[in-house]
Formats: sequence, C-alpha cells, structure tokens
Amino acid sequence: MNYSYQKKEALFAALAGVLYVISGTLHIVEGLGADTGFAALLFVQADILGGFCLAVIGMVFLYGLLEMRRGIKAGMSFAYVGILLSIIFMAVYLLIMGGNLLDSFIVPGDYEGWNIMESLRPGIYLGLLSLMAAFSWKGRFSSNGISVREEV
Amino acid sequence: MDERRPDEMTLDLIEPEISVKVLKVIGQKSSRKRILDMGLTPGTRVEVIRRAPLGDPVEFKLKGYNLSLRKKEARTILVEAPEQVPE
Amino acid sequence: MAEKIIVALAGNPNVGKTSIFNAITGSKQHVGNWPGVTVEKKMGKRVHSDVEMEVVDLPGTYSLTAYSLDEIVARDFIIEEKPDIVVQVVDGTNLERNLYLTTQLMELGVKLVIALNMSDLVLSKGVHIDEAKMQEYLEVPVVSTIGSTGNGIHGLLDTIIERSSDKRVYGNTFDYEEDIEVRAEELEMILEKDPYFAHYPSRWFSLKLLEGDENILRKARGSESYPKIKNVLDNLDPDSFESRIADQRYGTIQFMLRQVCDINTSHLSGSDMVDRVVTNKYLGIPIFLSLMWAAFEVTFTFATPFMNMIDIFFAWLGEVTVSLISTDWLSSLIGEGIIAGVGSVLIFLPNILLLFFMLSIMEDSGYISRAAFIMDRVMSRIGLHGKSFIPLIMGFGCNVPAIMATRTIEDSRDRLITILVTPFISCGARLPVYVLLAGAFFGRDAGVVIFSLYALGILVALLSAKLMRGTVLRGEDAPFIMELPEYRIPTLRSGIIHMWERGKIYLKKAGGIILLGVVGVWLLASIPVPGSGGQFASGDIYGTTSSLLGAIGMLIEPLVAPLGFDWRIAVALLFGVVAKEIVVGSMGVLYGAGTNEENLAGILAAGAMSPLVGLGLMVFVLLYVPCFACIGVIKRETGSWKWTLFQLFYGTGLAWGLAFLVYQTGSRIGLLS
Repeated sequence: MNYSYQKKEALFAALAGVLYVISGTLHIVEGLGADTGFAALLFVQADILGGFCLAVIGMVFLYGLLEMRRGIKAGMSFAYVGILLSIIFMAVYLLIMGGNLLDSFIVPGDYEGWNIMESLRPGIYLGLLSLMAAFSWKGRFSSNGISVREEV
Repeated sequence: MDERRPDEMTLDLIEPEISVKVLKVIGQKSSRKRILDMGLTPGTRVEVIRRAPLGDPVEFKLKGYNLSLRKKEARTILVEAPEQVPE
Repeated sequence: MAEKIIVALAGNPNVGKTSIFNAITGSKQHVGNWPGVTVEKKMGKRVHSDVEMEVVDLPGTYSLTAYSLDEIVARDFIIEEKPDIVVQVVDGTNLERNLYLTTQLMELGVKLVIALNMSDLVLSKGVHIDEAKMQEYLEVPVVSTIGSTGNGIHGLLDTIIERSSDKRVYGNTFDYEEDIEVRAEELEMILEKDPYFAHYPSRWFSLKLLEGDENILRKARGSESYPKIKNVLDNLDPDSFESRIADQRYGTIQFMLRQVCDINTSHLSGSDMVDRVVTNKYLGIPIFLSLMWAAFEVTFTFATPFMNMIDIFFAWLGEVTVSLISTDWLSSLIGEGIIAGVGSVLIFLPNILLLFFMLSIMEDSGYISRAAFIMDRVMSRIGLHGKSFIPLIMGFGCNVPAIMATRTIEDSRDRLITILVTPFISCGARLPVYVLLAGAFFGRDAGVVIFSLYALGILVALLSAKLMRGTVLRGEDAPFIMELPEYRIPTLRSGIIHMWERGKIYLKKAGGIILLGVVGVWLLASIPVPGSGGQFASGDIYGTTSSLLGAIGMLIEPLVAPLGFDWRIAVALLFGVVAKEIVVGSMGVLYGAGTNEENLAGILAAGAMSPLVGLGLMVFVLLYVPCFACIGVIKRETGSWKWTLFQLFYGTGLAWGLAFLVYQTGSRIGLLS
C-alpha cells in the first residue's frame, strides 16, 4: 500500500548512499596522500578515519536499498538509522567547526589566514540532505520510535 | 544429571528466528541462579533473535524483553528441540 | 517539626531509576562509595509537605540474590538500615521481569511503593495497565511516573509520606507449592526462636535458605540453630528448589498480569528496527567504530579551545603572580609551582566533562549494551567483558577520563583489570615525545615507528589483561548475561547532571593527588643540592644537577644505564610523571636546546643520542609510570593504593625490561647505533 513511500525512500537511500560513499572515499584517498583535485572544491579533507565513517554511513544507506529492493520491508530501518547517523555526524562536524572558531579567538596566532569555511566538511552539507529527509518523514519517525525531533 | 533425551537441545544450538521452550537450567550455581532470575525458568518461550557480528554472544527475546548470553552460558540451558524447521 | 524519613530507591537497571532520583532530589546530590566496596552510593535530599526525605539510590539489580556486589549492597542496606520506605521504580513496558524484584522486596517485608515509570511509553506500545487492579492485587500503592519529564513525582512523594506514617504492615505474600511452604514454615519456626536471626525477615530468610543462597547460608552457619537448619536443608534437593521458587515467582506474576494488563504483543518495534541495523553482521562493527570516532572527536578535538583557555589563563595568572610578588622564591613557588599545578589539574576537565556527556548519551539511549554485545567476542578472548572496550578506545585520547569511564563495567574484577591496563594505551600526551624522537632519528619512517608504538601499547594492554586474568586476578570469567534494553531518547538534563557529577568527583578525589605530585616535582627541581651554592627556586638551577631532582637523576643513572639512558634522560623521565609531554620540554632544557624543538631534534640527531637509545626511550615513555593525573584517578577508581602501586611497578618494570631488550639486542647486533 505504501508503494510510493517505499519508492521515495529507496530513491533517497540510493542518492545519500552514493554521495556518502564517494565523499568518504575521497577523504580516504586524500588521506593516503593522493591529490584527487576535489579537496578545495568539495571541502574534502585528508582524513582516513573520518572518511571511513562517511563511507560507513553510505554503506548503511546502500544496504537498506538492497533490502528494500529484495522486498524486505524492514530495509527501511537502514535508511532511518542512516539518517540518524548522518545527523549525528553533522552535529559532530558542526561542534568541531564551532570549536575551531572559538579556538581562533583564543590562540589567533595558530589561525592566521584561517576562515570558518576551512572547517566546512562534506559531513555538514550532506547532513542537510538527511535533515530534510528527516523533517519530511518525521511523522513516521516517531511512530517507529526513532524520534529525531527530540534528539539532543 | 539425567540422560539427554533426543528431543532436548541446548539453547546455543538453536538457529536465529526460531523460538523454543526452556526445559531446565544446568551449569554452575552462580550463573544458573542469574539465568533463572532473568526469567529463563522452565516452560518459558525464548526466541533466538540474532548472533553478534562475530558469532558470539547471542541475542534472545523472552518475556517481552531482549537478553544476550554468550554461547557458553546458552549451553547450560536445556530446551525442547524445535518441532519443524521453518522454510 | 519536620519529620525525617529514609527512602531507598530500588529497581532493575535501565528502568529510568536515575531520572526519578534526579527528579526527586534535583541538584542536591552526594556521590560516595558504599563502605568497603567500590560500588557507588548516591544520596540526595528532598523536603516535601514538611517531611525531610533522605533518598538513597540503591544499585540497579534484577534480583536480590548474592549474585553480584550490587545485589548484596542493595539487600544489606534494606536489611541493616531498614529504610522507612522502599520505592521500586518499575518499567511499565517490561512488567513481568520487573515485578520479579517486587516479589523479593515484598518477601523482605519492606514498606513498598511502586513507581510505574515510563507510563507514556507504555501507552504508545499499545499496553494498557490497570493500576487500581495492580494495587489491589499486590496490596502496594502504585503511582504512575514519567521520569524524563518529572510527571507524577509529586504524587509519588505524597504517596511516600502517606505510606510512611501508616503503621500497618501490608503487601501480599506469594504462596509457593505445598512442599516448599512446609519446609519454609519449618525453617521459619527455627529462625524465630533464635535471637541471632531477629534482624532478618524470617520468611525471606527461609526462602533464601531453600534457594541455597550462599551469602545467607554463610550467615546461618554462624548461629547456634544451624544444625537444626542443616537438618531441614539436608533432606531436599536445593537445585530443584531454586529453580522452582524462581519459576513460581514468575508464575504468580504471569497470573496477575493476565488480569491487570492487556498486551498487544509482537510487532517490529522501533528498537528492533534499530537493532537490525546496528548489530547487523556486516555493518555492526563499522557503525560502532564510526560512533567511537565521533565520540572521540567531540571529547578530544572539540575540547581543544577550552583546554587552550585554561592553559592561557593559568600561564597569565602565573606571570601576574610572579610579577606581583617581589620575593623571588615565593613568587616562583606560587606562580610556577602551585598555580601551574592547579592548571594541570583543571586542564583535563574539558575532556572528562565531554567524555562523560557522550557516555551518558550512549548509556541512556541504550547503545552501550549493543556496543558490548558487538565487541564482546574480542574482549572475551582476554577474559574481559565487552564493556571494557570503550574505556580502552578512549585511552587513545587521554587515559584519565578513560579510566573513569570503567564505571560502566559491572564486574569488579573486570573493571580493575581494565583500569590497570588502560595506561598502556598510548594517550595523546605521549605523541609529542614520539614525534620528536621518531622525527629526529627515523626521518621518513617516523610514521611507521609511531604506529608500531601504538600497536605495542595495545599488545601490552591485551597481554597484560590476559596475564592478570590468569595470575593476580585469577578466576572464572564473569558470566555474560546482559539485557539489551529498548532504545530511549537521552535527555540533555541527565547528560549534564552525569557530566557534572564526574567532573566534581575528579576535582575532589583526584585533584589533590595531582596537585601534590606536581608541586612535589617542582620543589625537587627547585631545591638546590646542599653545598652547590645554588639558590632555592632560582631559575638557573631548575632541574639541573645542582637541584635535588638533578641529583636524583644522577643517582638513578646506573639504574637506567643498561638501557643506554644517561642522567639527563632520567631527569626528563622524572619530569614526565607530571605530564608526559613535558619530557620534550625538559629534554630541550637539559640538552641546551631551549624551547626550540627543531633545535633539540637537530642536537639529538647530530649524535647527542643514538637512534637505538631513542627507540628504547620511546618504548619506555609508552609504558612507564603514567602521569600524576592518571595515578590520581587510578587511586580514586580502584580505591586502593596497593593496586595503584602495582600498576606503577608493573608498568615501569615492563618499560625497563622492553627498553633493555631493545637496547641490548640492538647494540649486540649493531643495529641503529
């Protein structure tokens, strides 16, 4: 009965999954010392561990997509957890961004020529995508017990 | 300890998504008491939910809540062998 | 006149007991330890309708057997201290297992009030509980509460007061099968005649005897009527009684539940859906590692500005003090000794607060049990519990909050081992030492060397845990029987209370030791050796051979000579106990490089130290005595100087042994010299 919902969710999972996996891979490749040419453009940082995390989020979405396509209804739970994880990571990156900003006032010497955009990370702008998804599906989030609205 | 009957098994051998009835808790005093306290008393229905990613411990559902035991502990719980293997 | 009553809060773990406790007592809490054990005791006060309540938060338990220290502490408190009221916090979504504890509390003959918690979730799960019927059946007042919002707390307090002034003893008793009842009565008659047992509720005591509770049997053995008791017990099979008593308790509960509530069972709940993902065979471990990374980043990266703030503030305060006090030695003592010491206590506070905030979220949401479930296979190999994994991971940032995080481990032996091996996990403060030495000697391969040191730390921690499991802390692995509670949305309030509590404990209990240590080292470095002509606390003797510390360095040089270390390294290592990163700064001064690290690296690489000695030194720094802050929390968390000293000697011994091995093998085969 919820065919259209399923389809929307599958589409979202596919999109988010691919974006996160690509972004995670770029982080890892940069972290290994190769220059992908995307670093400045997409705010990708050389960061193997951070890249691993983003790739994991992407894999969660894609795994969900796989299950949904196999007709397993609970496959949606992967999309929901993926959304939750990407919002958590967005929060973490935003905190670090705030921390950097604060730090730039405390030890300005270490931050010469620095501006806040340097702390912008794919984890933040990709998280916006999940945030939008979370808002448009929030009704079903709480009925599933995964209420995102009240998340601290 | 009495002979193991053919329709008895230990809980660690039950596959995920199968539910069985507890017959008896054997094994060491302290862990046996705790297992009983957690509600694995004779006659209780237990469903095996899943194994941890590395195969051990195992998650069960009983009395409306979820419990995890290592296989070592699950081996001390005698259950009725499941009647049919679901498809 | 204000009346005063003692209220004990009992309940299963994960039922929201802490949030009820917080809602009742607010910020008026006091955290200590139960006498003689390291189980935490939380107390708080509340005045309601002119009655002063002293609320004691008992450890969360599923039962009141002698299974764990927590259970013994909880039941001894109820028996010995006889609280006026026991409030059992019951998770309304999981009545059957929760009421098992209720049956035992009722057998103990306490004045019980039940707080039916999470009543909001009960409804949303499609369960309807008839409180009036439940109250009637149990003969115990039942009050609905929602701990996270504080709903129903007033009603609960009113009921507590009403119940405490009621002199009648009530509460239903449960009947067991006849042969159990006959034995129980026989035992009760014996117990009631013996004044030795006057202290204990006789029905409860006899049932525990029948169940074969070891703690209770031991108590009974001390009495004169023990032969009579033994006579009764000898004629029965305790194993079958134990099982049947548990069985019949559950049976009674089931019977009651059928009349009290409607349960719409079995649909895939939100919790089950989340679990399908986070404990997934392929994704479970990667997700766990990702979340650890997130917690790590928040704890250590986000803390940087706050640590810088503290650092700069104390440096400024120190300078101001030095410039204000004209007496040289006094200004140096206060400015460079004491103020720097206080700074070195406070510098860890941001890490501790943030880590405990993250842990609180993980614990309150229920994820921490899943983490233990996922990682248990790895940890059980070395005889530890899955929950030991998180403190070890956090150790990479800083050992101090990591050791405090072992609080989440229930089994006391597992906890002790985790505390003792955590210092081998290479913390952030050791990195500057590696960067300096590896950079100076190994150039392009520095990364590999540093990575190997981290790996060595992990290896030593794991092997040491296994070794201790087999020797000094021998014993059966604690059985792994862990509830996976439903996921809940953590509240900001409880996160903040938790982190504030830990921060306070750190400052109060560990702060003193750290301060003492730091000021102590400052004194040693500032007191001139008699006859050297140096002046106390004058800058030019600080840490040199004319100071006591330098003299000690010279004195212990023969001890470290087999490792290829000279007195300068010995002194730098002594300073390193203040904080490991200080090793770098002290070496700068001692090797005449000042504060410039590149200079120092140049001097070392030019031949002041051989690469082999450098490698040995890194191994030594990895393993030897942790910093004062770490020593302080080890003492606080183990509650024992014996274990603290054990860690120091074990670690330093190991450091010496491995550095010896590195140096001696290396120089024999002519490597890196």
